[in-house]
Amino acid sequence: MLGALYALFGLGLSLSLGVMKMINIAHGDLIVLGAYLCSTVMQLLGIGPFISLLAVVPMMFVIGYVLQRVLLNRVVGRGALSPLLLTFGLSIVLQNLLQEVYTADTRSLQAGEFALQGFDLGGVSIGLLPLVSTLISVAIFAGTSWLIGHSHLGRQARAVADDPGTARLVGVDDRNFFALVTGFVLAVIALASVMYGIRTPFSPTAGPERLLYSFEAVVLGGLGNVWGTFVGGLIIGVAQLLGAKVSSGLGPFFGHLVFLIALLARPQGLFGKGSR
Amino acid sequence: MLRTDRLDAYYGLFQALFGFTFEVRPGETVALIGSNGAGKSTLLRSIVGSVRTRPDGVLLDGRPVGGEPERKQLDRGIALVPEGRRLFPSLTVRENLQLAMRNGRKGPWTVERLMKEFPVMEAFQHRPATALSGGQQQLVALSRALVCNPDYLLCDEISLGLSPVAVNEVYELLGRARRDGLAVVLVEQNVKRALSESDRFYCIQKGRVVLEGSAEHADHAQVAQAYFGI
Amino acid sequence: MNSVALMNGARPRKAGRAVAGVALFAVLGALALAPWFTSFATQRLLVEVFTVFAMALAWNLLAGYGGLVVVGHQMFVGVGAYALFALSNRLGINPWMMLPLATAATAFFALLSALPMFRLSGAHFAVGTWVLAEMLRILTLNNEWLGAGGGMPLEALGSFDRWTRNAGVYWSALITGVGALFIARLMLRGKLGLALMSVRDSEAAAAASGVSIQRAKLALWVIAGSITGLAGAVAYMNTLQVTPDATFSLNWSAAAIFIAVLGGIGTLEGPILGTILYFLLRESFASYGSWYFIGLGSLAIATMVFAPGGAWSLVTRRWAIDPFGVRRDMPRR
Repeated sequence: MLGALYALFGLGLSLSLGVMKMINIAHGDLIVLGAYLCSTVMQLLGIGPFISLLAVVPMMFVIGYVLQRVLLNRVVGRGALSPLLLTFGLSIVLQNLLQEVYTADTRSLQAGEFALQGFDLGGVSIGLLPLVSTLISVAIFAGTSWLIGHSHLGRQARAVADDPGTARLVGVDDRNFFALVTGFVLAVIALASVMYGIRTPFSPTAGPERLLYSFEAVVLGGLGNVWGTFVGGLIIGVAQLLGAKVSSGLGPFFGHLVFLIALLARPQGLFGKGSR
Repeated sequence: MLRTDRLDAYYGLFQALFGFTFEVRPGETVALIGSNGAGKSTLLRSIVGSVRTRPDGVLLDGRPVGGEPERKQLDRGIALVPEGRRLFPSLTVRENLQLAMRNGRKGPWTVERLMKEFPVMEAFQHRPATALSGGQQQLVALSRALVCNPDYLLCDEISLGLSPVAVNEVYELLGRARRDGLAVVLVEQNVKRALSESDRFYCIQKGRVVLEGSAEHADHAQVAQAYFGI
Repeated sequence: MNSVALMNGARPRKAGRAVAGVALFAVLGALALAPWFTSFATQRLLVEVFTVFAMALAWNLLAGYGGLVVVGHQMFVGVGAYALFALSNRLGINPWMMLPLATAATAFFALLSALPMFRLSGAHFAVGTWVLAEMLRILTLNNEWLGAGGGMPLEALGSFDRWTRNAGVYWSALITGVGALFIARLMLRGKLGLALMSVRDSEAAAAASGVSIQRAKLALWVIAGSITGLAGAVAYMNTLQVTPDATFSLNWSAAAIFIAVLGGIGTLEGPILGTILYFLLRESFASYGSWYFIGLGSLAIATMVFAPGGAWSLVTRRWAIDPFGVRRDMPRR
């Protein structure tokens, strides 16, 4: 289902917003990067999209870690402007690099037979691919939620999100930790990008739109709430599908509209932590 | 021994410390007395690494450690209980302690030990840390620093805003830690309490040492003068 | 401040000001006379320069002085341009007469959009403006009345001969660019500017001093939006055709952002320097296609990492100058 995919897009953004308090404008472009990496790996090794994840997920993790360590850590905490502008520049660079390497043509990940399989459940035909995608999304959300609640990393994340200065006092090494978080975010992005690539033809400039949907999912669900992002993603997905039914060009528009209205009605999101 | 050597500290263009020299010997308790804005918190934060200083401004057993990040100082055995307690609201009491213990040094002080020594803390260990009373929060904040097993504990206004009973509880915990050989720097506005709990004291005014000596033989009139800057 | 200036030798300063004034007058005069001694191509380029400058200046005002970082700046461009085209085409009147109306329309739009947008802050606000811009783009794309995907031409311009048309657009752009600078300076040296800069320094202190933060930001928003709308309208008079994808394109924001970042956010000199740099780079390297953009993006990244104050901050690091007289803080050592 589209919503579950958007939810997954949003998860990464939610984490980086919550922990490092910065919005990564290049988030969408990183999703597209993941899809292109999958495509290349698939071509080089002649394997299916899900198997290529074995290679792509670690690659993206490393990319995320290095990106944060080398570049983004320099602007964390310097106000909202610096990271936003830096990642804006990054977005442009990524889009054009992809264009240089892969040309502007659209492509998609071939899932072969798998994409077409489905089964009937009480009169409703359910595609196997959407089902698996949704299950993967739910699993990742559950996993992340568990990590945040029950692991040392999760505690550190919550502490840093609460109060970075005091977190340092209790020994959190933010440079390394932030890099780990970004690595994790990119790994999640990699998983999302596979499902995205199978479902939708993508091109180098498809990034910004993904960012917008991710952002909408996060804000709609409320900052600081992982499952909130999941619900937010579902809502945006459903809104877009409904919109597309009304008029074929207006799918995304309906998503935007729902987002804007919800924002007007309840600025902190559905499950947001009250007013900041 | 932990000491600072003619330490200067700045907040942007504003200078908060001027050539501040003081020392803490292992196992002793030193009080830092001064009014608001005198530079007490700045000094503690400079030592622990939150405010940048030149490397030889802070010396631990003769080695320059100034300007290093908090994590390194924690590894070396210097921990800070920050002003205002600053517990993490998104974590329970137990989680606040677990986080610090995992990041700190190994030693006699563990989460379990604290739970045993303070049954009250055990009772509310799963509550969000900020859902506690001021006194209870201060105990947790102090414990959070203790589980890092430091050699030098810097305490910033730990009795601020607490009832007399709560203050006693806090100093009770501190006392147990001191019995284990912990050296403590006490920053306090409560002059009487600070002097009664410490071996030596320094008076700080506008970022400078204006008086120092043994706590037992402190001349209260002199201290009042130094405090108020008359 | 004035007494200090007097003590440091009023006469050399006054003489310096007089020289600068004459130089400025000469430059403006030369620019105004351009249609008579430059080619159409040069004029069209200069129109781009002036309009993009105005947009970047407006963006800079919002982000640097108002703390309102906008990624959807193109919405003002689009509203201004479409308003102009729609009004001029429907009413059949000379588009130059319609420019003030188009600007007013953008101002009105800015006022309305503040309602939802001002509920957000920081990065949310930034992306929120982008969402809004996207919505406008999609709406326009699907709107037959506005020409849908193909867009609209500016019919009324057809009745003018080529020289008049180009000159007219050129002068409009020149007035827009210089006017924007003039308005910005006026605003910053006045009550609004003082209010904004106090908010920039410390929002809590400003509020405590009775500064109406919301009102100041709203005023800034409407002014900056109107400037951008006007610039957008003029820019599209240059190209004679509006289309949803181009007019509401993120590229407008990108250009404004790059110029502001490269030149120096939060200064008036920054956008000037930034615009010059931007167009120099573009005219030299745009032929390299994607690599040009990669370079531009990398330059923006490098600027944010090493010199967040932009090129102008590099200048002021060497020489403590303040040509526009809007700085109110002590020069950093």
